[in-house]
Amino acid sequence: MTAGLVFHPDYLLHEQSPGHPERRERLSYTIDQFREEGVFSHRSIRLITPQPASRESVMRVHFSEYLSFLEGSSKTGGFIDFDTSIPIHLWEAALLAAGGAIRAADAVLDGEVENAFAMVRPPGHHARPGTGAGFCYINNMAVMVRHLQDRGVMKILILDWDAHHGDGTQQIFYEEDSVLFTSIHQYPFYPGTGSVDEIGLRRGTGYTANMPVPAGTGDESYLYLFDTVIGPLAREFEPDLIAISAGQDNHFTDPLTGLALTARGYSEMMRRAVDLSRDICEGHLVAVLEGGYSVEGGLPYTNLGILAALAGLDLSCIREPSGFLEWLRKVRDPSAHRGVVENANALRTNLSPFWRCFGSS
Amino acid sequence: MLIGMDVGGTNTDVAIVGDEIVSVKVPNDRGIPAALDRITSQGRLGVSSSQPLNRILTGDPVRVVTILFPGPGLAWPGLLKGSINHRGDAVERIDPDEVRGFILENPGDAVAIASKFSVRNPVLEEEATDLAKEHYPDERIARSAPLALLDFPARVTTTRLNARLKETVCKLTAEIGKGRPDFFFFKGDGGLASPQVVRENPSLLFNSSAAAVALGAFFLSREKECVVVDIGGTTTDLVPLHNGSPRMRTLISDGERTLAETVETLSIPFGGDSELSGGLQPHRMGNALAFGGPRPTLTDALNVEGAEIGDPSRSVRVGKSEAEDAVDRYLDQVSYAVKETGMDRIVGAGFLAPILIPRIARRAGMRFTVHTDSGCANAVGVAVSRVSLTLHARFDSGRKRAVLNGEVQGLKCMGDDDSLIGFCREEVRRRALAAGAYPEDVRKIDLVSFQAYDVVRGGFRAERIADVVVRIPPGITMEAL
Ligand SMILES: [Zn+2]
Repeated sequence: MTAGLVFHPDYLLHEQSPGHPERRERLSYTIDQFREEGVFSHRSIRLITPQPASRESVMRVHFSEYLSFLEGSSKTGGFIDFDTSIPIHLWEAALLAAGGAIRAADAVLDGEVENAFAMVRPPGHHARPGTGAGFCYINNMAVMVRHLQDRGVMKILILDWDAHHGDGTQQIFYEEDSVLFTSIHQYPFYPGTGSVDEIGLRRGTGYTANMPVPAGTGDESYLYLFDTVIGPLAREFEPDLIAISAGQDNHFTDPLTGLALTARGYSEMMRRAVDLSRDICEGHLVAVLEGGYSVEGGLPYTNLGILAALAGLDLSCIREPSGFLEWLRKVRDPSAHRGVVENANALRTNLSPFWRCFGSS
Repeated sequence: MLIGMDVGGTNTDVAIVGDEIVSVKVPNDRGIPAALDRITSQGRLGVSSSQPLNRILTGDPVRVVTILFPGPGLAWPGLLKGSINHRGDAVERIDPDEVRGFILENPGDAVAIASKFSVRNPVLEEEATDLAKEHYPDERIARSAPLALLDFPARVTTTRLNARLKETVCKLTAEIGKGRPDFFFFKGDGGLASPQVVRENPSLLFNSSAAAVALGAFFLSREKECVVVDIGGTTTDLVPLHNGSPRMRTLISDGERTLAETVETLSIPFGGDSELSGGLQPHRMGNALAFGGPRPTLTDALNVEGAEIGDPSRSVRVGKSEAEDAVDRYLDQVSYAVKETGMDRIVGAGFLAPILIPRIARRAGMRFTVHTDSGCANAVGVAVSRVSLTLHARFDSGRKRAVLNGEVQGLKCMGDDDSLIGFCREEVRRRALAAGAYPEDVRKIDLVSFQAYDVVRGGFRAERIADVVVRIPPGITMEAL
């Protein structure tokens, strides 16, 4: 089987300011690691070069006024919020990122590859129809989902495992029953949303599943949530494709968050997602990069772990250098798992009227 | 004088290029010293030796012990403790007892040593080399760091190849160096390199004969867009030239990618010595009858058709219709392949070129050039080549470290981008001149790639990293123009 890696050298160009956490350097070390691992000429991995998304395809998610504002501000420089400014050339960078997600989806749908990882910048999951936020401008994931729907894909499961709640994506699909949005995120934390009580509206009621986790949460809890919430929901929902907002900021070395996932944990979770996709949707799975700011720590190992799992490679050596272990001991909180289980139970209760796997009759 | 020597499958060709070209052919069974003895003039000597190296690779298997330090990442069998990270920091050290134990448990003929990211810090490979030297001579130990490129899988394959070839390269160096201590090896990319450079990376020599023919044919004909057709004893090789240069491709060894680049060649398994036995056969049993060989060949068939090669009277054993069929089959195969290249001119090379190239060209409907010295185009190519060299440099201001082709140096202060590029250009020029390059050949230095970024800490640019690749490209030395 072959995994697609969607990447463009221009993904290294976008920068709000040299000191910003979401900066060019984020992917530099990952690219070094990939080059050294021989990823770009690996038998099981195909490098795919994307094109910018069209204005029409991003209009399927965002308001025309907002897009005009983005495009205009990209000529002079502009401002959205304290974390999110508009550097010159942002418009081109944001369209190329959305185009990467679209290209990844097409590659999977057309059978070019079994699954794909769109390693794009800037990220997208905080962007809403009328505004950007939290380093995000265009919601790459949502643009991709709309594109999939336009190509006739009926049901899509989104798993957003970025450390921050994917509030933009949740809002866009909040009233729809053809997109099941699930999210694991640190809580309480930026952007403040993502409680177990947000379960969708109208036709979409029951089609949003938030799994908030406390700081210090580690591998064991993520795998627990995958096996006891995401897996059962997915099997019952029977999506045609699994779309993962793959934020890498849950890693224990991430400077912006307080979670404790390891590179091995990431790859193990992705392996389960791949297995699940094979069971229920012919292996159709697309991962899109969101956050991840541990530029000098875990990023090269987590990105590699995700790609290796998609390509079905041996994961036994996916790990951090042994010197990182002390760091992990400090960040990881074994008692966090109790909170994770409590929240999961509350979520199951909230969703029980809608899903047989959680007790509906 | 510029002197070129190409050690082929059966003969060694020597060409001495001055105001005119003088060439000799010496059978290999008399050994390389015999060929060297025929060189009476003084001058720069280049040696293409891909045939002896090919023999190593097709001969008795050499057991290569591979010592790997892959560290975190994609899995490798037989991994040992020790890891260099992407920044070039030794984040896990080797366990000398573990390495010693591994060497004892895995006896072999040669050792290949590779750690991930060794091109950014070779320390683990150096420590393991010291341990390997307790059991193996240096001539049988190859390291991956001098390969200088990121791509661990390809580096491992290339280092394994180098481990198999290094001793032969050392012996060749000693043998040739006895009479000509300042000779150069001719590389697969068409450039020359000092024996010291080749010793650290023998894979540079791969398939150098094809590069030699391509360069020689271009030098003699000055045809920039053409297909060089080199008619040898066992094969006929096609090398298309674009803008005077052949296309390069990655060498595959045992099904794995290497870091060696070789000239793209299409090889047709028929040549002047192909046996005639119920038709033309794709193998060689020895010389043609016309040269005292045991069995009739394509060369004898040409004699039956009226050519006068060697002693034509010996070729009469071949029947007229058998000869015509064989030549016809040969011309068909080659003219078809030549037409497929899409070029419209053939430049001939090899001993039989004057006889066969016009007929191939007529059948293919193409124009052709056969130079008077086309018989030794390969040796001419070696003679007129020039020193080429690539420098891969990484500068890291935070670590105060520069790594040049896999060797670490201190870095006191890091200038701006232009000064880094200037430094690399000066360094590659200095190295080439020290190796004996002709000064006018190192005036132009290509910047192959430049990448730099800042390391940010606490919101501020704290450090800077830059990767620079510069090279003196292969080609014809100004001395010959
Ligand atoms: Zn995030």
